[in-house]
Amino acid sequence: MNHWIIAPIVLPAVVAPFIIMVMRFHRDLQRVFSVASVVALNIIALVLLTSAMDGTISVYELGNWPAPFGIILVLDRLSAMMVMLTTVLALAVVLYAIGSGWDTRGRHFHALFQFQLMGVLGAFLTGDAFNLFVFFEVLLIASYGLMIHGGGTTRLRAGVQYVVYNLLGSSLFLIALGTLYSVTGTLNMADLAVRVAELPVEDTALLRVGAVLLLLVFAIKAAVLPLHFWLPASYANAPMPVAALFAIMSKVGAYAILRMYTLVFGPGVAITDGLVGTWLLPAALLTLAVGSFGILGSRNLARLVAFGAITSMGTLLIAISLFTPQATAAALYYAIHSTFTAALLFLIADLVLERRGGALVPTPPMAQSGLIATLFFVGAIAMAGMPPLSGFVGKLLVMDAARASAHVWAIWAVILTTSLITILGLSRAGSILFWKPHDASMAPFPRPEDEEDAADKDPLLAPEPVPGLAFVPVFALIAALVALTVLAGPVMRYTEATAAQLFAPSDYIETVLQRPGS
Amino acid sequence: MSLFLIAALPFLGAVFPALLIRAGRNAAAGSTFAVTLLALIGLLLHAPAVLRGETVSARLDWLPTLGLNANFQLDGLGLLFAGLILGIGLLIIAYARFYLAREDPMGQFYCFLLLFQGAMVGIVLSDNILLLLVFWELTSLSSFLLIGYWKHLPEGRQGARMALAVTASGGLAMIAGMLILGNIVGSYDLSEILQHRDLIQASPLYAPALILILLGCFTKSAQFPFHFWLPHAMAAPTPVSAYLHSATMVKAGLFLMARMWPVLSGTDLWFYIVGSVGLITMILGAVIALFKDDLKALLAFSTVSHLGLITMLLGFGTKVAAVGAVFHIINHATFKAALFMNAGIVDHGVHTRDIKQLGGLRHLMPVTFTLATIAALSMAGIPPFNGFLSKEMMLEEATHAVWAGVPWLVPALAVFGALFSVAYSLRYIVHVFLGKTRHDYPTKPHDPTPGLWLPPAVLVALVVLIGLFPNVIATPIVSAAALAVTGTPVEFHPALWHGLTPALYLSVVAVLGGALLLAAHHGALGIWNNLPRPEAKVIFDAIIRATTAATRRITDTLHDGSLTRYAAIFLVFTLAISYYAFASGVLGPQTHTSLPISVMPVLGWVCLVGSALCVVAFHRNRLLALVLIGVSGLIVSLTFNYLSAPDLALTQISVEVVTIILLLLALNFMPQQTPRESTPARRTRDVVISITAGLGVGGLIYALMTRDFAMPSISEYHVANSYKGGGGTNVVNVILVDFRGFDTFGEIIVLGIAAIIIFAITEAVLGSGVRARLLNRKPSYPLAGDPHPLMMVVATRVMMPIALMVAAYIFFRGHNMPGGGFIAGLIAAIAVVMQYMASGFSWATDRQRLPYHGIIGTGVLVAAITGMGAWFNGKPFLTSAFGYVHLPYLEKFELATAALFDLGVFLAVLGAVLLALQSLARYAWQPGIVSEHPMDINPERDDASETIEGH
Amino acid sequence: MEILLASAVGILTACGIYLILRQRTFPVIIGLSLLSYAVNLFLFATGRLALNQPPILNKYADVSYTDPLPQALVLTAIVISFGMTAVVVMIALSSYLSARDDGINMTDKGGEDA
Repeated sequence: MNHWIIAPIVLPAVVAPFIIMVMRFHRDLQRVFSVASVVALNIIALVLLTSAMDGTISVYELGNWPAPFGIILVLDRLSAMMVMLTTVLALAVVLYAIGSGWDTRGRHFHALFQFQLMGVLGAFLTGDAFNLFVFFEVLLIASYGLMIHGGGTTRLRAGVQYVVYNLLGSSLFLIALGTLYSVTGTLNMADLAVRVAELPVEDTALLRVGAVLLLLVFAIKAAVLPLHFWLPASYANAPMPVAALFAIMSKVGAYAILRMYTLVFGPGVAITDGLVGTWLLPAALLTLAVGSFGILGSRNLARLVAFGAITSMGTLLIAISLFTPQATAAALYYAIHSTFTAALLFLIADLVLERRGGALVPTPPMAQSGLIATLFFVGAIAMAGMPPLSGFVGKLLVMDAARASAHVWAIWAVILTTSLITILGLSRAGSILFWKPHDASMAPFPRPEDEEDAADKDPLLAPEPVPGLAFVPVFALIAALVALTVLAGPVMRYTEATAAQLFAPSDYIETVLQRPGS
Repeated sequence: MSLFLIAALPFLGAVFPALLIRAGRNAAAGSTFAVTLLALIGLLLHAPAVLRGETVSARLDWLPTLGLNANFQLDGLGLLFAGLILGIGLLIIAYARFYLAREDPMGQFYCFLLLFQGAMVGIVLSDNILLLLVFWELTSLSSFLLIGYWKHLPEGRQGARMALAVTASGGLAMIAGMLILGNIVGSYDLSEILQHRDLIQASPLYAPALILILLGCFTKSAQFPFHFWLPHAMAAPTPVSAYLHSATMVKAGLFLMARMWPVLSGTDLWFYIVGSVGLITMILGAVIALFKDDLKALLAFSTVSHLGLITMLLGFGTKVAAVGAVFHIINHATFKAALFMNAGIVDHGVHTRDIKQLGGLRHLMPVTFTLATIAALSMAGIPPFNGFLSKEMMLEEATHAVWAGVPWLVPALAVFGALFSVAYSLRYIVHVFLGKTRHDYPTKPHDPTPGLWLPPAVLVALVVLIGLFPNVIATPIVSAAALAVTGTPVEFHPALWHGLTPALYLSVVAVLGGALLLAAHHGALGIWNNLPRPEAKVIFDAIIRATTAATRRITDTLHDGSLTRYAAIFLVFTLAISYYAFASGVLGPQTHTSLPISVMPVLGWVCLVGSALCVVAFHRNRLLALVLIGVSGLIVSLTFNYLSAPDLALTQISVEVVTIILLLLALNFMPQQTPRESTPARRTRDVVISITAGLGVGGLIYALMTRDFAMPSISEYHVANSYKGGGGTNVVNVILVDFRGFDTFGEIIVLGIAAIIIFAITEAVLGSGVRARLLNRKPSYPLAGDPHPLMMVVATRVMMPIALMVAAYIFFRGHNMPGGGFIAGLIAAIAVVMQYMASGFSWATDRQRLPYHGIIGTGVLVAAITGMGAWFNGKPFLTSAFGYVHLPYLEKFELATAALFDLGVFLAVLGAVLLALQSLARYAWQPGIVSEHPMDINPERDDASETIEGH
Repeated sequence: MEILLASAVGILTACGIYLILRQRTFPVIIGLSLLSYAVNLFLFATGRLALNQPPILNKYADVSYTDPLPQALVLTAIVISFGMTAVVVMIALSSYLSARDDGINMTDKGGEDA
C-alpha cells in the first residue's frame, strides 16, 4: 500500500493545526513551517508524478475498506499533474506572501493557506463523489478566510457576496449528489461509471438532472458564463497573493468537469448524451468574450487581471468542451500555462498596488517602475497569448484541436478577436501605468487607493515584508512559463498520454473496483 | 555558423547593452555593434553557397504534435533580407550612438533594437510558418517598445499603441490563414508548402487563407487601408524610423508575399487584391507625401508609396515583375534609410524638421546636402542611380499589366504615381537645401560629426554603385533571391540604357511632370488643403474609444455588484438547464410504495410549512424571524426522529440551538428591522423564481423517493459489516467514524477553519477603526435590570457537571447507540456557553484555562494521528482497530480506535463552537463592565445598569 | 408520506430562495439556513423513507433497517453547513460594522474597484 498518495492531504492537515496550537504568536516560526511544508509537498508531488508517469493508476483505500464501500483516493496521470501544478504554484505564492508581508496583515494566514492546499489537493486525488464535496467545502471555507484576510470594508463586503454565492453552489452540489445516489445507489466515481452505463434507458430523466446539476456546480467553480459573477469582485478585492493562489481553484472546477465527464458521463454514455456539448461550448465562448471585454473595460488593475483569469478559463473550457483526446491534451497544456500566468499577473498587480494603487489613472512614477514595467510586459505577453511565451503555443494547440469541431470557425473567430481585445486592453493599461507617469505634464496625484481601507488595516499587525523576496517568486513564475514554452514537446507528450488515459476509463474503473479489499 | 546561432545571436546579445550601459554608452553601443557584426559575418559565411543556388537549413523538433518546429533555412531571399536587416542594422547602431541625447536610456534602446533585429532575422530565416508567426508577432511587440521609446511623448505612446493594434490584429488574422494553409498541405514547413501550388490553389479554402495571410502582410507593410499607422510611428527616434521603415518592419509583409509568391500568386484573386492594393497605396502615399511639411512625414508617406509599388509588382504575378520587386526592395532600403538618417541630421543641426522653416541649407550643411541630393534623386528615379533601374522595370511591367480588360489603366496610374514621387523627391532637395539662406533657423545649422553622416554616406555610396554597376553588385544576390521567389532561374541584366522603350518615355513624362508639379507646388497645396479627406488617426482613435467605452459599458452593466441579480441569474439558468435535462430524458414509472399518511406527520407538516411561510412573511422583524426559524429547525429534527434517524434528530437539534444563539448574538449588533426596499415587480419576480425552484426541488425529490434504487445501494454492505467490520451497532456512527471517516475528518477541519476565520475577522475588525465605534455603542434594547439573575446563575452552575456528564454519556454510547463525538461536543459547548450567558463574559473567561485554539488544534491532530496510527501496522490511513475488554464488576466494553477518532471530533467541535461564540462576544466587550460578582444580587449595586453581558 | 416530505422540501426551498433574493445580509442568512434545512431533508430522503427502522443493529431480532448512508451524509452536511453559517454570519456582521451598511449589493463602483 503506497502511503505517498495520502501524504499531500495529511501533511497540510497536520501542519495547519500545529501552527494554530503551538506557534500562534511566532510569526517567523509560522513562516518557516509553512514554507517547509510546501517544499515537502513539492517533493511528494514529484514522487507521485514519477509514479503516475508510466500510466499506472494507484488506488488508496481509506480505512482499508474496499471500493466502492469506503472512500478511496486515486492517483492517475491527471491527478498527479494537477497536484504537481498546485504545489509549484503554492510555493511561489507562499514565498510572495512572506516577501510582501501580506501574511502578517491578518491572523492565521499560514494555517488557512495549508488548509486551502489540503482542500485543493484532496479534490484532485479523491475518487469518491461525496468526498469530493467535502474537499470542495474545505477549500471553499479556507478560501473565504483567505479572501477576507486582512479585513477592510470593501473586502469584507465582497467576501459576503463570495460566500453567499458559493453557499448556493454547495447546496446545489448536495442536491446533485443526492439525486445521483438515489438513482444509482453509489457514491464512488468508478462505481458510478459502471452503474450509469448499466442503467435502463427507459428511466433516464432523473439521472440526467443529477448529471447536469453536477456539471453546473463545477461550472460555478470554473467561472463559466453565466455562473462567473462571483469571480471579478472576489478576486479583485482579495489580497493579490491569495487571488494568485485562487488561480488553481478555478482549475479545480475544470478538473472536476474533465474527470466526471470522461469517467462517469463520458462521450460514449448514451443516457447523458447531449447534456454537456449543447451549452458548454457556447458558454465557454461567451466566457472568453466577456472576460476580454472586462480586460479592456476595467478601471482598475486588480479587476483587469481578474477578468484575465476569466478569459483563460474561457479558452480552457472551449478546449475541454470539445471532449476529444487532442483537445483535452491541449486543454491540459493550457491549464498549466493559464494557472502560472494568472498567478504571475496577480503578483505583479500586487507590486503595483502596493506602490501606486490599482486605479487605471495616471499617477507620478512609482518606485522600481522600470523593473515592474518589464515584468508587466512579460506577464501581459503571456496573458494575451503572444509569442514567445506558452500562451501562444497553448492558443495554437487549442485552435488546432478545434479543427475537428463543427464550430471551428466560431471558435477561431472568438479566440482571435478576443486576443486582439486583450492586447488592446493590456497595452492601454501598461501605457497608463508605466508610460504616462513619465509625461512632463504629469502633475503629482493623490494615492487613488481608497484610503479608508488603508485606515481599516490593523495597526497592531504591521506588515513585515522581507525586502527583495517578493520578486523571487515573480521571476520564478516567469521562468516556469519559459520552461513550459521550451519544453512544450515533452509536456505535450505527457498531456497527450493523460488525455488518452482519460478517454479510456476502463483501466481506471478496473483498477478501482477489481482490487480485493483486505 | 549555424542558422540557430545566427537567429539567436541578437536575442542573446540583447542582454549586453542592458547590462553594459553601466559601463557607459560606448560599451552599450559597442557590444550591440559587435553582436550584429558577428551575426552578419555568420550569415555571409553562407553567402557563397546560397549564391550558388543552394539552401542552407537547420532543423530542430520543438512541438512535433502541433507541427511547430524550430526549422530554419537560408535561401537567396532569406540571404538578401537578412543581409539588409543586419547590414543596415550595423549602420543604424552606429548612427544611433551619436544621435541619441544624453538623457535617453541608451541601454534600453539597444536592447529593444536587438530584440527587434532578432525577430526580423527570425522571420526571414524561418522554414516553418508557425515559427514564422512567432517571430512575426515578436516584431509587433518589439517595435511597440521601440516606437514608444520616448514614453514622455504622447505621440510616441499613441503611435506605439496604434502600430501594435494594427500590426497585431493583422498578425492574428495571419495565424488563422497559416493554420488553414497548413491544414490544406498537411504540414507547416515552408519547404513542404512551397511544393504544393496546385493543391493549395485548388482548395476551397484558398480564398480565405489568401485573404487572411494578406491581411497580415498589408497591415505590416502599411498597405491601403492600413497605411495610417506608419506615419504615426514616426514619433519614434529617427534611427528607429530609419530602421523600421526602410529595411525591416515594413518589409516583413513584402517578404512574406515574396515567400508565398510561388504558391499563392498567379490567380486572378491574387492579381486583383495585391495588384490593386499596391497600386492604390503607391499613388495615395505619393500624393500625400508631396503635401507633408514634416521631413519625416514626407519620407514616411514616400515609404508607403514605395511599399505599394513593390506590392503592386508582386501582385502582377509575372516572374519579371517579381524580380523587379526584389530589386526595388534593395534600392528602396538603401536610399530610404539614407534619407531618414539625413532627415535626422537636419533635425539635429537645425532643431526642426518643418520644411517651411528650412531651405538654403546647401551652403551651411554641404555634406548633408550632397548625401540628400543623391539619395533623393535615386528615390525620384533619376539616372544614374539605382532607383532609376527598378523604377524603369516597374513602368515596363506596368505597361504589360491589363486591369479588368483595360490596358491603359495601370500604366497611366503608375506614371501618375511616379510623377508625384518625382515631385516630392525633388521637393526634399529644393525646399530644404536650395533657395537662399535664411536667418530665422531655430539654431545655427552645421554639418554633423562623421558619426552621424558616415552611415548614410555608406548607403549613398551603394546607391551610386548599384546604379552604375548593377550587374556587378546587384545581379548575383538579386538573381539568387529571384530564384527563391519564382522557383526558376531568371535572367536579370539591369542596365541604365536599354533603348527607347515605352518605359523610358513614361519615365521622362514622370520626371518632367514631377518637376512642373513641384514648381506649381504652392497652388497644388491650396487645392489639396481644400480637398475633404478623412483623417485616419481620428477614425482609428474614434473606433478604439468606442470599443473601450462599449466594453466598459458591457462589463459594468453585467457586473454591477448586485449579488441579488447574480443569484437570480444563477437560479434561472440552473432551473432552465435542469429542466432541459429532465425533459430530454425519459421518466420511468413509480416503483416504490409510498408510506401511509398519519396524523402526526400532517401536524408536523403544518407546523413546518407554517413556520417557514411565517419566516418569509415576517422576515422584516428579524428577531421574530429567528424565533420562527428555530421552530422550523425543531420540526425538521422531529421529522428526522420520526423517520428513524435518531442521530440526525440529535445533531439537528443541538446544531439548531448553537446556530440560534450565534444569530441572536450577531443580531444584537445589527439593525433589528429589514427595510422594505424591493419594488413590487422585483418581489413578484423573486416569488416566481422561488416557487419554480421549490417546485423543481420538491418534484425532484418526490420522483426520487417514489422509485427504488436502480441497483442495490452500497449501504447494504455498511449494514452488513458495521458490527463485525466496524465494531459498532450504530451503523450511522460507524459510517461516520469508519467507513467514511475521511469525510468526517474533512468535516471537522471545516469546523476548525470556520472557527479560526471567525477569530481572524474579529481580530481584523477590532484592530480597525470599528473598535472605537463598538466601545461606545448604545445597546439597541434596554438592559435587563439584573443581567445575572441568581436563579439562572445557580441553575447553570448546577447544570454544568450534569451537562458534561450527558455529553460523556452521549459520546461513549455513540458507537452503538445514537450519539457520538459531534453531538457530545455540541452539548458540552452549550454547557459552557450557558456559563457565559448566565455569569458574564469576563467571569467565564477568567475561569477558562485552555485556549480554544489549542482545543481545536488538539482535536484535529488527535483525529489525524489516530488515522496515521494505522500506518504503523501497514494499514491505510484511518483503518480502525477495536477490541473488547472485560473489567471486574463491569459489563464487557469496547475499546476502538474509532472512539479515539471520535474524541478528536468532540474536541474540534467543542473548541470551534466556543472560539466562535467567544470571538463574537468580544465585540460586545466594553470597559468598566467586568462584573466581579455575578452572584451578588444587591439591588444597590452600582454597576448593575452598565452591565450588558448575557442578554 | 412522501408527498408531505416532498412538498415540505419544496416550500422550504421556495421560502429560502425568496429570502436569499432579499437585499440585506440578515434575511439572506436566514434564507440560507432555510435552504439548508430543505437540502438536508432532500439528501436524507434520497435513502427513501422508513418508519421505526433506525439503523441501530439489533442483536436479538432480525429486523430491516432504513438506509444509513444518507443519514451519515446528512450529518456531515449539517456540520459543514453549520460551519458555513457561522462564517457567513461573522463576515456579514463584520462588514456591517465596518461599512455601517448591511446591504448585500455593492452597487457603488468605488467599492468594486477597490
